[in-house]
Amino acid sequence: MKDQHFVVIGNGPAGNEAALTLRSHARDTRITLISKESGGCYQPHLLPSFISGNLAEENLYVFSPSSYKELGIKFRSGQEVVDLDLRTREIYLDHREVIKYDGLIISLGGKPRIPENLEVFNDLMLTLKTIHDAKIWLKRLKRAETVLMIGGDLTSLSFTSQLLKMDKKIFFALNEEAFWPMRFSETLHDEVAEKLVQKGVTVLDYSRIKSMNSLPKGGVEVHTDHQTVCTDIVGAFFGLVPDVGFLARSGLKIDRGILVDEYLNTGYKGVYATGDCAQVYHPEINDYWVSIGHDNAVALGKTAALNLVGEHIKAEPECIFNVNGFCTNSSWWMEF
Amino acid sequence: MSSIDLTIEICGMSGDGTIAAGLLLNEALSAAGFSLMALDSYPAEIRGFGRCVTRTRISNKEMTALSHKTNVLISLDDEQSRSRVPFLTEDAVILFDNRPVVYIGEDKALLPLLEPEMNIFGIPFGDLASQASGSRRGKNLAALGGFAALFGIPAEPFYAAIKKKFQAKGEKVLDANLKCFDAGMEFGARTYKNKLQKIIQPGTNGVSSEKQLVSGNVAVSTAAIDAGLALYFGYPITPATPIMEHLARYLPEKGGKIMQMEDEISSIGGVLGSYFAGKRAMTATSGPGFALMTELIAHATVTEIPAVIINAQRGGPATGLPTKTEQSDLQAAVFGGPGDSARIVIAPSNVNECYYFTLKSFQLAERYQTPVIVLTDFFLNNRVENIDPLKAPEGDIKDGNILPDESKKDKYLRYENTETGISPRALPGMEGYIFASTGLEHTEKGVPDYTAQIHMMMSEKRHRKIMNALKDLPEPKEYDPEDEYDIGIIAWGSTSGAAIEAAGLARERGIKAGMLKIGSIFPYHAEKIKAFMNKCDEILIPELNFEGQLANLTGHLHRKEVRRFNRVTGVPMTAVEILEAIEDIVSRRSHQ
Repeated sequence: MKDQHFVVIGNGPAGNEAALTLRSHARDTRITLISKESGGCYQPHLLPSFISGNLAEENLYVFSPSSYKELGIKFRSGQEVVDLDLRTREIYLDHREVIKYDGLIISLGGKPRIPENLEVFNDLMLTLKTIHDAKIWLKRLKRAETVLMIGGDLTSLSFTSQLLKMDKKIFFALNEEAFWPMRFSETLHDEVAEKLVQKGVTVLDYSRIKSMNSLPKGGVEVHTDHQTVCTDIVGAFFGLVPDVGFLARSGLKIDRGILVDEYLNTGYKGVYATGDCAQVYHPEINDYWVSIGHDNAVALGKTAALNLVGEHIKAEPECIFNVNGFCTNSSWWMEF
Repeated sequence: MSSIDLTIEICGMSGDGTIAAGLLLNEALSAAGFSLMALDSYPAEIRGFGRCVTRTRISNKEMTALSHKTNVLISLDDEQSRSRVPFLTEDAVILFDNRPVVYIGEDKALLPLLEPEMNIFGIPFGDLASQASGSRRGKNLAALGGFAALFGIPAEPFYAAIKKKFQAKGEKVLDANLKCFDAGMEFGARTYKNKLQKIIQPGTNGVSSEKQLVSGNVAVSTAAIDAGLALYFGYPITPATPIMEHLARYLPEKGGKIMQMEDEISSIGGVLGSYFAGKRAMTATSGPGFALMTELIAHATVTEIPAVIINAQRGGPATGLPTKTEQSDLQAAVFGGPGDSARIVIAPSNVNECYYFTLKSFQLAERYQTPVIVLTDFFLNNRVENIDPLKAPEGDIKDGNILPDESKKDKYLRYENTETGISPRALPGMEGYIFASTGLEHTEKGVPDYTAQIHMMMSEKRHRKIMNALKDLPEPKEYDPEDEYDIGIIAWGSTSGAAIEAAGLARERGIKAGMLKIGSIFPYHAEKIKAFMNKCDEILIPELNFEGQLANLTGHLHRKEVRRFNRVTGVPMTAVEILEAIEDIVSRRSHQ
């Protein structure tokens, strides 16, 4: 493997672990780690604490850019992959650079999921997936008193706790979209609503959002089928979906994410997908599952890297859940 | 006001408009009120391939040298800019074209070499220029616009610089260039609005707006014109050619003439002929051309004919490194030529001195009837600085000729052995002062004579004359004098600026460092140099030559071996390099 070039796309927990594993098992191989985001690998689930001021920015990171350099991993920070040619084994970057690879691990992660009926209101809602998102929240919260949380994934619950510490007035909208990827149930709804109310959150019950308008003096007016709410910020928390849009032309098999076998191989020699962007085949359920959560991502990143350097290890989920026909292994779920 | 010290590089392929962009950048930043020093580097070939780099250092304080590292790289060509990466600071800002015409392989792209800590800004220079003007040629202007946006520099000084450069080419060309600049600026401001770094507060940058942007070559040429140059003879050679170009444009307006000769031998011949007839004349060349001139320079010393010769040094030996800087002609300037042919050699250290040393050289040549060699170098000739307006002191431009008085009429001895060695010089046509002039050794009257007695006497007379010139030559300058030093730096020419800065940095680190700049290379102020050396435990002489040519010339004045720091890298020496040499010497001393 001395003259080979292994590339990892994506620097989330899975990509980071994949690069580190490759380094420790392929010492003479050139390794490049490409990240659309600037900076090192960080822990996205700690972003709410960063926003509330309970965590310094540097403590978000688990691996700094200089650490990659010390390990001999070329870290391409803030550079975006826009295309892939599996035939010529070439990666195309947004700034029109082409990189050749011998082995490839795709760990693009996820992007905020916005239900189709709300996409039209994208510009009026904030999401929280990246440090960049967090900094926008920080800026907006400086002059905000009220926040409306819609969607209700697990990030929204931890973020609500932090916003309350910042003395913000919180509206929390619960409907059937809440708790994704968990199944919505009346029992779960009632338990969550009760806890939120106890903490001082105003819980809104509704079926659908009819419209959103920005207000002349700032803020947003949200009309649901049950009420109208005026708020300074609207946060959309509907979970994540694999961020694999640009791979549609690549020849990779894509459903919600990149379809891979139980060894995380895409069907192309030396090309693996891992982390949130992969849909992993499981022979027992004869279906594909996705992974959600930091710990799962790390485990999958390691598995993909080991298989790339010649091991033959199956990706084994702890437990597969089926949510609306979508199989998932979620460490968040377990933590909740 | 916070301290600003920023070095900006523009790098591209020949034909990318790199040098033009550098000129515009310098004009704009100078107008914005910064202290500025800049240097271009370009290939020896005319066009089509090769790397072009412009480096501009700006500050809100006076500066004496270029910096060691680059803070901002504007890349017009990925492949060419790769070589500049080692010179970038860890937190450098990089602007590059993120929409080149074709995809670039990893082995030719810039970004693979950059570190994540750097601040990388992709701006589609070519596309923006194409959309704004219909041609990608204006990508250098779009790049400048992006730079201005990122650093919060107002458009006005750039507009003024663009107008100055392109107005003469017509409204269409000017308009296209302005549009390209605007497109880059608008893109930068819009795309990176959260990352803009405002470094400029107009009118508060501490530099007088009276300052003028002048290159070493223009300073030399302007001095020659101000000195009343009548005739210029030259043959093109890098880096001296811009002197001839400048004079060709401006000397005729003042009544002077330039003549491009067939070679350097005829050029120096023309200078001697003119001066023999009493007309101020000059030539400018570089090492290879100077080598051709040496016989006639020696001829001028024996015939005691004035001459002004600019030797703009470049990398040698022979053709060497035509577009790189070096200080390796010192020995050739002082000793080059047949026989004992002492002449005056002076070396300016900055653009200001390029003017004042050249100005003075005409008078010195006349007074001491000798060739005066002004020893510049590529870095000095090509760099630009913004300096106070140049103004010739009245005393420095007046006629230096010492004519024979009435009492000598009809018994005139052209080479009279006087106490000072200066023999009053008659000009052709002065009735009653007939003399013979020959390159053969001669008597006081000018009659050929090879006897031992005459040759001893006349050799001694000519050398005495040159040594007596010392009182009129630039004295060594000691910076921030103290009574004693751990280490004293002695520098000359363009290296002096870096040495001044290095001494200051050493003092900040607690090292007792002194700095002496030598302007007169030959004759040199031995007693003053020795006095400085006596205050120093160690002497360090940094030079851009391999042999340590100033150290060879003056090192014997120190009570022990001088330390040499010699570099022939083709690029200017930096303060950091000299500082490292200082620290190395001091460290070795402390371990002894």
